[in-house]
Amino acid sequence: MHNLSNDYAHTLKRLAAIGSALVFVVGCGIAGQSPSPRASSAASQPAQATSTPRGSASATGSAATATGTPVATASAAATASPTDPPPATPQPTLAGEVVFGNWPLYIDIDEETGEYPTLEAFTEQTGIQVSYQEDIGDNSDFFGRIQPDLAAGNPTGYDIIAPSDWMIARLIRLGYVQPLDKSLLPNFEANAQDLFLDPWYDPGNTYSIPWQGGIVGIGYNPTLTGREITSFDDLLDPEFAGRAGLFSEMIDTMSMTILSLGVKPEDATMADVQAAHDKLLGPAQAGQFRDFYDNSYVDALATGDLAITMAWSGDVTNIELYENPDVKFVIPDTGGLLFVDNMVIPNGAEHVADAYKLMDYWYTLEAAAPLSEYIGYYSPVKGVREQILLDAQTARDEGDEEWATQLERLAQDSFPDEDALDNVFNYKILSEEEERQWNDLFSEVVSG
Amino acid sequence: MRRRLRGLVPYLFLVPGGLWLIAFFVVPMLVMASVSLQEGSLGTGYRMTWNFGIYPEVIADAWTQLSRSIVYALIVTIATLLIGFPMAYTIAFRGGRFKNILLLLVILPFFTAFIIRTLSWKLILADNGFVLGTLKDLGLLAPTTHVLASPLAVIGGLTYNFLPFMVLPLYVALEKIDPHLMEAATDLYASRRHAFLRVTLPLAMPGVFAGSLLVFIPTVGDFINADILGSRDTTMIGNVIQRLFLATNAYPEASALGFVLMAAVLVLVAIYARVVGARELTV
Repeated sequence: MHNLSNDYAHTLKRLAAIGSALVFVVGCGIAGQSPSPRASSAASQPAQATSTPRGSASATGSAATATGTPVATASAAATASPTDPPPATPQPTLAGEVVFGNWPLYIDIDEETGEYPTLEAFTEQTGIQVSYQEDIGDNSDFFGRIQPDLAAGNPTGYDIIAPSDWMIARLIRLGYVQPLDKSLLPNFEANAQDLFLDPWYDPGNTYSIPWQGGIVGIGYNPTLTGREITSFDDLLDPEFAGRAGLFSEMIDTMSMTILSLGVKPEDATMADVQAAHDKLLGPAQAGQFRDFYDNSYVDALATGDLAITMAWSGDVTNIELYENPDVKFVIPDTGGLLFVDNMVIPNGAEHVADAYKLMDYWYTLEAAAPLSEYIGYYSPVKGVREQILLDAQTARDEGDEEWATQLERLAQDSFPDEDALDNVFNYKILSEEEERQWNDLFSEVVSG
Repeated sequence: MRRRLRGLVPYLFLVPGGLWLIAFFVVPMLVMASVSLQEGSLGTGYRMTWNFGIYPEVIADAWTQLSRSIVYALIVTIATLLIGFPMAYTIAFRGGRFKNILLLLVILPFFTAFIIRTLSWKLILADNGFVLGTLKDLGLLAPTTHVLASPLAVIGGLTYNFLPFMVLPLYVALEKIDPHLMEAATDLYASRRHAFLRVTLPLAMPGVFAGSLLVFIPTVGDFINADILGSRDTTMIGNVIQRLFLATNAYPEASALGFVLMAAVLVLVAIYARVVGARELTV
């Protein structure tokens, strides 16, 4: 049933988003013809960052400048380039509260009390109350909801939000998020995995630090497909007509299709995007795809409405463990995508100092390990996989064989090994014009 | 002086409603009209360019979904009328002391949220849910048959959700009819069928008219049923507008399409009023 209520919340949020988009439109109309000053100032910010190959991560905490932050230490001060905007200056004292907007089912929950144990522990340690809001159902919808406030320079009500990588790139491009002072994030500096550092969407982690990662691949149910799945093209196999699913998030579906054409998304030209569109359009018109899904594919895959679908790794691990043991996840031979949801501090945040505390808290093993054990995603924190295996051992010693097995499967499924990572690629950073062109082509595929 | 004041009173009564409509209908409409004629993007801001060319453009782009929405809405209106009329008739003339309970049952679904009701259809009609699953196990349906993600599911969901909007006005119209009129008709040698066609039905027309509008108009613009129960090939105009607003942030296109939809509905309603006879409205 949790998926039903999840759908419900999602649709309500979508309605709310439409409301705020309308408010924005009204704002636009009243503001008349001049572009908003905030939006135009965004142009001067380091937008089109060159994409760096993942893995060549150099842990640069140097992006932060020390100006205006008395707490800043030598470790972080180093080489701030003059073009970098000054980091968000926290209030001198903690406010004692912080508002964190995140995705649903993305934190550990005590099933009996309904409380969040890791957040409780944080409050105990720091005295900061966390208002945890499961408000992000879809990157675009959420953006549509906060965009009017950000464009008008009003507070969004959030101190931390955790959208996905490509949306982070857009938020940075529009100047909607604050640069981070790394000296206030010592645990991040010490414990972040190299793989997650200096990412393509935010070079040097100037504005964002990862929350959780995962892989976009294919989820399938072998009892329904009748065979093991290895390739993206299996999604287009007429044998699965009406029982195959794709994502409604444009960037995921288009990038996976581009990969299946043998092109890395970051190298994709408009010709490649057109080719991806052509590849999907025919099958889409022939009724190959049951639908284009947001999070609701989880339900359809678990109940067997879908035999094969694009999927996010952590979700499939969850279905496998708790709902339908038949379901499997695979990175197609043409490649999968590494997605990372990241914590950022939006403009107008009212509890910045508290936000830093909470962001850094997730980079302690005491917080990161229980979090991963519950939600099943790929943690950006060093040593989490090892800790999960240790906990599995402890559970086994204590006689809880079931939990031990679950933890071991989770450690294996959620934390991709070297080979798997070799076949995982990044998204392309899209300019506004490219985004529009990609969206137009994708809309033709999605709308019958 | 007194007389002048008295003359003003009816207008004063209109002030609250008028202000409300100006603030929440007229102003947003004008703003939407303005946005639809602007060009630009989130990054650069929007500029008024009197871009009327956007209208033929969005009509061409969304023609499939627009015509599909109108066809669906027509089917739904007729279906609710066919289902709702006998219902309302029975409640009005044969309801007796159960009348109030029956009416309560008609509006009972409103006690749960619209979305929950639609989502439960998803559970009921799941490919291996208890309806289809059972039929498949009995060998009555092919194992790959599905109802969800088809026009049938979307039209079914819409019909279910909007049925009360048809039943209630029909009931009100029928309830007002004096049964003695029908008795009089039969006394004057009308057959029962004739009495229904010549007396009951014409007197119920205001209900048919109001019910059709209450069902047709929100159905054309609905996106939740198509979103939850449909697939790519059942996309309605509401889904397109929603996608333009939220996923692609194409505010001018979305605003323009909103006006196109409104114009289409107005034209259709005007034709309908002309055909059925607007005088029925005033009865």
